[in-house]
Amino acid sequence: MSDTPLWRRYLRLTSRDVAADVDDELTFHVEMRVERNLALGMDPDSARREAARRFGDLSAVRGALVEHDAHRKRADDRRELFADLGQDVRFGLRSLRRAPGFAVAAVLTLALGIGANTAIFSVVEAVVLRPLPYVRPSELVTLGPGSGGEYLALRERLRTIPQLALYSTQTHPFDDGVTAQRLEGAAITTNLLPMLAVSPVLGRGFTEEEGRFGNSAVLLLSHALWQRQFGGSRDAIGAHVMVEGVAHTIVGVMGEDFKFPSAATEYWQPYTFNPDNVGYTWGVGGKQFIGRLAPGATLAQAQGEVRELWPALRTLNPLWDPGPEYGRDATADLLSADQIGTTGRVAWLLLGCVLLVLVIGCVNVANLMLARATTRAREFSLRAALGGGRGRLIRQLVTESLLLSLLGSLLGVALAAAAIRWLIAVLPASVPRTHEIALNGTVLAFTAIIAIGSGLLFGIAPALRATRHAGASASHGGLRATAGVTHHRLSGMLVVCEMTLAVMLVIGASLLVRSFQALRAVEPGFEASHVIAARLTPPAAEYQDPARVKALYSTVLERLGATPGVRAVAAVDKLPIAQPVYGLAARIEGQFEDATRSLPVIWHSQQVTTSYFATMGIPIVRGRAFTDADREDQAPVAIVSESVARQFWPDENALGKRIGYPWQSPWLTIVGVVPDTKQDSLRDTLASSLYVPWQQRTRMSGSEMWVVARTSLDARAVATTIRAIVRETDRAVPVSDVRTMDAVIGHSLGGTRFTTLLVGAFALAALALGAIGIYGVMSYLVSQRTQEMGVRLALGAPPRAVIRLVVSRAMGLAAVGTLAGIAAAVVVTRSLGSLLYEVSATDPLTFAIVPLLFLLVAALASYGPARRAARVDPVQALHTA
Amino acid sequence: MALRQQPGDLLQGTLGILILKSLLLGRAHGYAVARWIEDTTADVLTIEEGSLYPALRRLEDRGLVSSEWGLSENNRRARFYSITAPGRKHLRNEAAVWLRYSQAVTRVLRAEPALG
Repeated sequence: MSDTPLWRRYLRLTSRDVAADVDDELTFHVEMRVERNLALGMDPDSARREAARRFGDLSAVRGALVEHDAHRKRADDRRELFADLGQDVRFGLRSLRRAPGFAVAAVLTLALGIGANTAIFSVVEAVVLRPLPYVRPSELVTLGPGSGGEYLALRERLRTIPQLALYSTQTHPFDDGVTAQRLEGAAITTNLLPMLAVSPVLGRGFTEEEGRFGNSAVLLLSHALWQRQFGGSRDAIGAHVMVEGVAHTIVGVMGEDFKFPSAATEYWQPYTFNPDNVGYTWGVGGKQFIGRLAPGATLAQAQGEVRELWPALRTLNPLWDPGPEYGRDATADLLSADQIGTTGRVAWLLLGCVLLVLVIGCVNVANLMLARATTRAREFSLRAALGGGRGRLIRQLVTESLLLSLLGSLLGVALAAAAIRWLIAVLPASVPRTHEIALNGTVLAFTAIIAIGSGLLFGIAPALRATRHAGASASHGGLRATAGVTHHRLSGMLVVCEMTLAVMLVIGASLLVRSFQALRAVEPGFEASHVIAARLTPPAAEYQDPARVKALYSTVLERLGATPGVRAVAAVDKLPIAQPVYGLAARIEGQFEDATRSLPVIWHSQQVTTSYFATMGIPIVRGRAFTDADREDQAPVAIVSESVARQFWPDENALGKRIGYPWQSPWLTIVGVVPDTKQDSLRDTLASSLYVPWQQRTRMSGSEMWVVARTSLDARAVATTIRAIVRETDRAVPVSDVRTMDAVIGHSLGGTRFTTLLVGAFALAALALGAIGIYGVMSYLVSQRTQEMGVRLALGAPPRAVIRLVVSRAMGLAAVGTLAGIAAAVVVTRSLGSLLYEVSATDPLTFAIVPLLFLLVAALASYGPARRAARVDPVQALHTA
Repeated sequence: MALRQQPGDLLQGTLGILILKSLLLGRAHGYAVARWIEDTTADVLTIEEGSLYPALRRLEDRGLVSSEWGLSENNRRARFYSITAPGRKHLRNEAAVWLRYSQAVTRVLRAEPALG
């Protein structure tokens, strides 16, 4: 407070303004002089003249004074404001020092809450909110996936998306003459970089000429690959590297922040269309289309046009009729939305959870503040009596709250910095743009907002409540009673809110945990333990001859099979769970034979060597496995999974029936039936699988295969053996993804595990905070009602009755909060939807157990205070009354 | 009367001392300060009364006087000035300097002119 006494501030506040004060002062002077002149016997006229002459230049003095006083008033106001603030802060710090336990508890609670929020928000900011690093990113849209033929047709037709490019991610052997490795890259049409308005930082982009078939042996490197393989040397430009066994010339290096389509992409090459290979152009889908909206065109217009155009492409397919449903679900989406994908929903979910935890923490701190405010009631009434207005008291208390949240957020930001490092390390690989996660200005602004928000959240209600009677009543006896009653009602309400939020969060988390457990308990249909897999990617140029491919795998499998401890070996073109196992449309003899009509889909198809089923531990239900006799020159055979047999021959034996590729080709005779297995992922519900012997594989297949081995001991021991055998066989063949099947399955659950872990941790925090809240309120209630307990005990109430009184009060609060929490959870958990696996969003078991858990926790948390109440010494309690 | 023509030079510092001196008797409004100077100097040092107020503001800015609103002897709202503790100290110092200075000047003026 400044030195100015209050009444003078009052005067100043009520004086009309600075100019009026100056006029008053000067007029007073002149009039006094006039009066004196009159008393000296002058006539009124000369009295005035004489007074004015003595005064001098009145208007100049007036002007100077008004200016001076106005300036001083502003300075005074400012000083006063800062003096008050400084005083509030000093006083706040003093009063926090006097209650270190309270201060530490509050600051820690806030630091954890604010820190966790800051960390999670930094993920949301980098992954979801930050615009993509391209020119006008909101114009960029994605379509597809589709085939090259569809792309060419759409590019000619789309009016709302006049610029359309195609890209296709690939992993190819990349050989710089020293090491052969398997790298992720992308083939992009040459118009893609100009459309994104991105150019290389070194060298040049692709020319249009290089987009033509046979002209495309050029390469752009990612900044990271350039640094790693060429040490950042300019000599890289013009250098040759082997991609798929074909020499490519490096023409440019992209910027460090160019991560398209993902951070894993290490090189780019031109995508070309082979005019002679119509089968590939129209038959192989999975290409991604990316376009830029025409100026003025909206996403909705583009979506409308795509929905209209795509089904019309049905007649253009030269290979087969894709059926009446073709293109029906085609649409366009913003590139940003497409890149974020489901990660966005999970990120928002996590942020929601962690905000809930912060709110629960704030409620706890509010309760602590409330308890403290009641013990400080005398201080407040004293200050009120000394002339501190209610507004001033509220300001003091809110300053204290903000001080707490400031301290909490400082500590919180430090925690967040550590948490962010941890998050970047453990975030699942599917999360885009993790390298951009950082504590930047936007994140810190968010931190400031939640810090101030929580300061007000837990500060205002207690401040209003605590000061309600401070001004009115200075008699402390009466004050304590009324403040006590209202305090109980408010803190009870706070605990109910807290319970509601905590129950909601814990129910949501339990659903995620149960669904994760369900996922982990899924039987994949093969025996994952003791199986190891490795991916071999022979360079296509050197392995164009099928005999060479066959020789490579025969040698590798033979040598691996002869390794001690290896019980069975096999090769498969697409490893389950590790990657999508695409299927095909199939002809079925006697049912769907006309390839120009729409054909049924078999969701997964694999080419396997003879011992694949034995190696993977997939039993043969009927018929036989493939044998060495199923050679290229023998009649084509196939094995199907049970749901294929059920779907097409529900009442017959599938053995001996015939199935075919969707193009003109010999029928494959079914020789065996195996159980359905999980192929794409453990969540896979599309069960139908078709297996063909690798030796009878089609021309279109690539030469990349997975080698799998079943071992008698730890499968990991074979990893180095596999690498060595392949290196000795042909050093140009990269070996990658050497992992046990257990690890493959574990990896596939990484994202789910991560989400479940975090939400579970938040839920535990909420549960703990809820328990602390109940404990705090009950402790406080007991300490406030010591006399009442004493009287009860003195009147003969058994201690057990007192315990029951306290516990039942706690249970009452918990029950209300829990019921509200159940209701809230029913509404909120619906949004979990696709994150859940084989658990309903309103799983009855979860909805029954979690509330019971909370009631139990409430009972336990209130039992301690209740025992204290029962041990009150009646005599002493009545004395202190 | 010559002084009235040029209140600046000599009176600039002096006026402050006169005001502080006048306030030693107790708080007073500007008119009372003017009257005190007028009476005490027997109107020899008549000042332009308007210059009193900027001088008061300057003293107030330097913390030598303080001001507050109050009621005059004839019950009118008037601004009263009081001397502060730093003001008293300042007055003592300035008065000592002033006295030494004026004594020196007086001595010079009263001295016999040198032979020559």
